[in-house]
Amino acid sequence: MNYLEKILHWKLIITYLIVVLVLTIVITATLGPAHIHPLIVLKMLASRLPLVNSLVAPSWSISEETIIFQIRLPRIILGVLVGAALGVAGTAMQGLFKNPMADPYIIGISAGAALGATLAMVTLASLSMYMVPLMAFIFAMGAIFLVYNIARVGSKLPTSTLLLSGIAVTLFLSAITSFMMYISGEKLHGIVFWLMGGLWASSWDDVWMTFPWIVIGTTIIYIFARDLNVMLLDEEPAQHLGVDVERLKKIIMTFTSLITASAVAVSGIIGFVGLIIPHAMRILVGPDHRILLPCSALVGGVFLVWADTLARTIIAPTEIPVGIITSIFGAPFFIYLLRKRKKAIF
Amino acid sequence: MTSVTLRINNIACRYESTSVLEDIELSALGGDFIGVIGPNASGKSTLIRSISRTLRPYMGAILLDEKDVYALPSKEVAKKLAVVPQESVITFAFTALEIVLMGRNPHIGRFDAEGADDLAIARKAMELTNTWHLSERPINELSGGEKQRVIIARALAQEPKVLLLDEPTDHLDIGHQIEILDLIKRLSKEESIIVIAVFHNLNLASLYCDRLMLIHHGKIFSLGSPENVLTAENIKRVYGVEVLIKRQPVTNSIYVTLLPRRDSMPPSSDYLSNKGAPKRMFFVHIICGAGTGSQLMHLLTERGYKVTAGVLNAIDTDHEMNYLGIPIVSEAPFSSISCEAHEANLELIDKADVIVLTSIPFGYGNLKNLEAAELALENKPVLLIEKEPIEKRDFTQGEAKKIYNRLKENGAVVLQDTKEVLPIIEEIAR
Repeated sequence: MNYLEKILHWKLIITYLIVVLVLTIVITATLGPAHIHPLIVLKMLASRLPLVNSLVAPSWSISEETIIFQIRLPRIILGVLVGAALGVAGTAMQGLFKNPMADPYIIGISAGAALGATLAMVTLASLSMYMVPLMAFIFAMGAIFLVYNIARVGSKLPTSTLLLSGIAVTLFLSAITSFMMYISGEKLHGIVFWLMGGLWASSWDDVWMTFPWIVIGTTIIYIFARDLNVMLLDEEPAQHLGVDVERLKKIIMTFTSLITASAVAVSGIIGFVGLIIPHAMRILVGPDHRILLPCSALVGGVFLVWADTLARTIIAPTEIPVGIITSIFGAPFFIYLLRKRKKAIF
Repeated sequence: MTSVTLRINNIACRYESTSVLEDIELSALGGDFIGVIGPNASGKSTLIRSISRTLRPYMGAILLDEKDVYALPSKEVAKKLAVVPQESVITFAFTALEIVLMGRNPHIGRFDAEGADDLAIARKAMELTNTWHLSERPINELSGGEKQRVIIARALAQEPKVLLLDEPTDHLDIGHQIEILDLIKRLSKEESIIVIAVFHNLNLASLYCDRLMLIHHGKIFSLGSPENVLTAENIKRVYGVEVLIKRQPVTNSIYVTLLPRRDSMPPSSDYLSNKGAPKRMFFVHIICGAGTGSQLMHLLTERGYKVTAGVLNAIDTDHEMNYLGIPIVSEAPFSSISCEAHEANLELIDKADVIVLTSIPFGYGNLKNLEAAELALENKPVLLIEKEPIEKRDFTQGEAKKIYNRLKENGAVVLQDTKEVLPIIEEIAR
């Protein structure tokens, strides 16, 4: 396959994945306790689009419209955003650290968010609905800031100390979180539920809160896709090929943290998406971040939406946290990939 | 277009607090091919790292076209300066072409992708390094040599004005070593590129470099043309080994031959064992020439015998053995043996306990050596090494044959091979 064919091939893959994403949104919107026909869902969506809306006559009930637009759609869209964010953040972290075991949580984001959310739930008597995500976000970014400053040597950020200080900060913050949980009393259930990760009770507010950060962060990471490729050659060769390695590390770290913290703030700690999706995509489309990042975003979104659909329908009306689903399906798949491609994980 | 310049102004580098480079000065112009040589840990790679913006010197400056490389953005430097590292660990599945295209990275704008030009340049670089046929293969599946040539293509795709190579060809077989170094040498002249390359192989360094920098303990020990830097004296002081320096007759480059250390030679086989080493000074005189005696002289010296030789012509291969400290009677090149030389030879023979005559050809010029052997046979053992019958070595219309046969008749010991000499001498010495 020559170079131009490769570019064409990339465009085909992206187009195909966008189609899959749209189909996923429509199909999962029909699934749930109240069964709504896919055609109706399509019509409802069309009625909200400019230009084509005049062609669609409403043929559905108010309650159906409320279920789709106020309950299912925001949840699905948020699933797409969170899945995409975790996919992109995982890809960027693995590329930056040249480490296939890196995931978006590796440098302390999850531990910070968990502590923030727990603190909000334990200490604040009357919870405004925004306090948990806000505290989670602030503490996630605070954890990153802490890790960054522990790892920093002068103006440089050595990868090994970054990973190690990530582990140290994670352990420390988790200990505080455990303590908070221990003394939380009847609020423990809510905390555990949050920690397992889930997309329930998602609203359009959640979507609008995360959307700008995730879109901006992902775009900026994508702009540095070529530099991430060169970084895979290791830091010294990357430097020789004109990449400002230290600046790149800071940029990627900042925006990866931003999108991960935004995602975690609204969804809790959903595991495995940020680890599995980049792996699977790397095996399928190769290591070039210019195709790997968009693929990880799209497939991450699709994967999480289906996992969440399963989480809310599998033992309906009871919901299980989607983090359990992603881990139950993710871990065996990960083992399968490991066994199959032992040598060529990267 | 003015030529690129590189000036290294008195730099010093250290890792943590260990100083690894000091007082390094160099200035180079486009077309210069400079070799950096020195023992392990002498600071060669550190020099490459400091020029390539990886290890900032704590003193001095590195000026590329009169601009401090550490003050320029990495992209600007990468447009002019490319590095081929000692070894590249690439564990993921980029194709060779994708790796070479990364060489175009400094030339491509942040929001652009590789264009047709970049592809053409990458292709040309791969064709030059003979790797175009590998372009679609994943880099992690290539052999060490193939990978290194791809990495060199990547450096060429940067279209550099300065090319730094850290032991670039150590992973390559000799065919590819020569091919790559020929290519780099040619490009350096044609494209006016400064090449600075670290070499372990001194002969390759002398073959390709205009100038050599010999580094020892982080300092320049010697800097200049290969013949000025690669002297037996310099190499002995820096590497601690004995070498023989010759000029290659064909390429006229300096050629270094390593010699084993005499004091630390292990016995390599039974017949070389020290069992038979002489208790007292035992003299062996070798009449040889045309390289037939070198091996024997070396062997006997190692075993502790006192070796002398003669008469040899001053440019004879065997004559080079006088580095061993062997007294040799010599004659001017291509001259017949003079009476003085013959006398001196007889004097050495007189001191010797045993005489060895190697399988040399005889002409009128060295007939006196045969006569010397005959005189020796009167009162001491003479060993004749006869790899070829005397008829084939006689260029004196039978005269040499006559004396030679007389030697045999009068009790000279005839041996088929040089290997047989040592056991017999051990026998006699005991």
